[in-house]
Amino acid sequence: MNEIVIQVEHLYKTYGSVKAVNDLGFSVPSATCFGFLGPNGAGKTTALTMLYGMCDRDPHPETQVKVFGYDPQKNELAIKFLSGVVPQEDNLDEELNVFQNLWVYANFYGMKKKEAEERIAYLLDFFELSEKKKAKIRELSGGMKRRLLIARALLHMPKLLILDEPTTGLDPQVRHLIWNKLRQLKQEGLTILLTTHYMEEAFQLCDTILIMDKGRKVLEGNPKALLEEHLEPWALEVHEINLSTIPVPVGIRKDGTSSHSVFYAHDLPLLQKLNTQLPPGTGFLRPTNLEDLFFKMTGRLLNEQQ
Amino acid sequence: MNSNNLPTFFHRIFSVWYRHVLVYTRNLISNGLPPFMEPLIFLAGVGIGLGKFIGTMENLPYLEFLATALLVTSAMFTSAFECSYGTFIRLEFDKVYDGMLSAPLTVNNVLLGEILWAGTKGFFFSFAVLLIMSIFGVLPLPHALLTPFIGFLTGVMFGAISLWITSFVKTINHFSFYFTGILSPMFFFSGVIFPISHLPKVIQPLAWIFPLSHPVALSRHVCKGEYDFVLLLHLLYIIGMTIVAGFLGFRGLRKRMIR
Repeated sequence: MNEIVIQVEHLYKTYGSVKAVNDLGFSVPSATCFGFLGPNGAGKTTALTMLYGMCDRDPHPETQVKVFGYDPQKNELAIKFLSGVVPQEDNLDEELNVFQNLWVYANFYGMKKKEAEERIAYLLDFFELSEKKKAKIRELSGGMKRRLLIARALLHMPKLLILDEPTTGLDPQVRHLIWNKLRQLKQEGLTILLTTHYMEEAFQLCDTILIMDKGRKVLEGNPKALLEEHLEPWALEVHEINLSTIPVPVGIRKDGTSSHSVFYAHDLPLLQKLNTQLPPGTGFLRPTNLEDLFFKMTGRLLNEQQ
Repeated sequence: MNSNNLPTFFHRIFSVWYRHVLVYTRNLISNGLPPFMEPLIFLAGVGIGLGKFIGTMENLPYLEFLATALLVTSAMFTSAFECSYGTFIRLEFDKVYDGMLSAPLTVNNVLLGEILWAGTKGFFFSFAVLLIMSIFGVLPLPHALLTPFIGFLTGVMFGAISLWITSFVKTINHFSFYFTGILSPMFFFSGVIFPISHLPKVIQPLAWIFPLSHPVALSRHVCKGEYDFVLLLHLLYIIGMTIVAGFLGFRGLRKRMIR
């Protein structure tokens, strides 16, 4: 077993009457990728920011937070020095160009001039941004900005990379580029902690996922194992027809909203048979995925936090 | 790699300060020219116009009387701008501090860097006034050479005061109250345009509450080459005000920077 990089037990955070994080616990071994999944307002970002001191946790006798063995409320600097953070919201320095953005941060980390210049050149190349070295931040596309943010977080060769929704709003090309880079970094020994809404992202990158809802842990484990354990392998999706007349056969679980139903089953022929009873072209048979698990765990309807 | 290579306290503050220097010097002409233009315009306006009607003030030619205070007010305005509008934009719009705080910097490191930068701008703006006024023979050399350091202290003090104001300002428009309601009155009643001793006796003590009165007095004494005990009191006021406003500002801003 790898060395444990992050160890969290009984973590709480309250904003007014809202319990943003409620008795959360998890641990992340080194050189693995750990993903937080959950609807907006589930407490993912809050949980992340408490790890490096950007958010004060509630005082609670049972709480224990250790990142590299340091408590963020006592040794935030040590943790920040060993970690890189990619925020959800772009916070690049608009008043500086691409190179200067990295240069200023190299200074924050106390890097020497030559070391910083070499590292910046390497990272710009790694994230395919070398041509944009002198560009203004305003001139960058969303994908370039995100790559630059990741490059900035990797300047000082951190041991832990924290990413809050790293590919939200990006096109598929950039998303896959970022995934490839992150996989490569993980192989080089980097520990990765991320939040995401994209089930595919979690499936592609994460060794362990933690599904959160309303501040609480709902489920934790390896994505493939969780699917097998908690979900039927097949789903039949049906849109825009009234299904109240069709009885749900034994061995099939029905889920969905008023205009959209999903039938889940272990037995493929059972779903195929059901499909033939529907008007042609309304049913869509497919293997189940993480999104089905997500809906099963956190519900299909919006809550007041979303 | 381990956390033993953590940058020192001074390096951390320096690195924040350095970020501001880099931003400022990126647009050197548009940022660097106005501080030199202002005293020129002032010289033209007051020297050619108003100065002809007023002879001397406190035994100084009126232009010199004004110039000794202008050294300080230019430092006040630039540092107040930097740590009000500037800080607010970095805090709320550009999220610059969010980024900085994910690097190995604490809230205090970031804010101390801000104040140090406000002081630096104060120094530079005072220096610009000194240079122009000396070229035109308005300020007495070599006495006045010390005034950029007073400009630095002024910048630091108004940097701290402005951070405190910023810590409770909700929208950026509220800063107009600060500038027209606090800084502008101070410009008129802190001995800049006429001596505090010309104010009604009852109001005089009030004028000494204004933070601007003290660096103005300091600058004028230094320019005259008068060094006495009272300078120490002005200096103590500046240091005390910086500490108190800084403490309140840091405490208030921490709540906005750390969720």
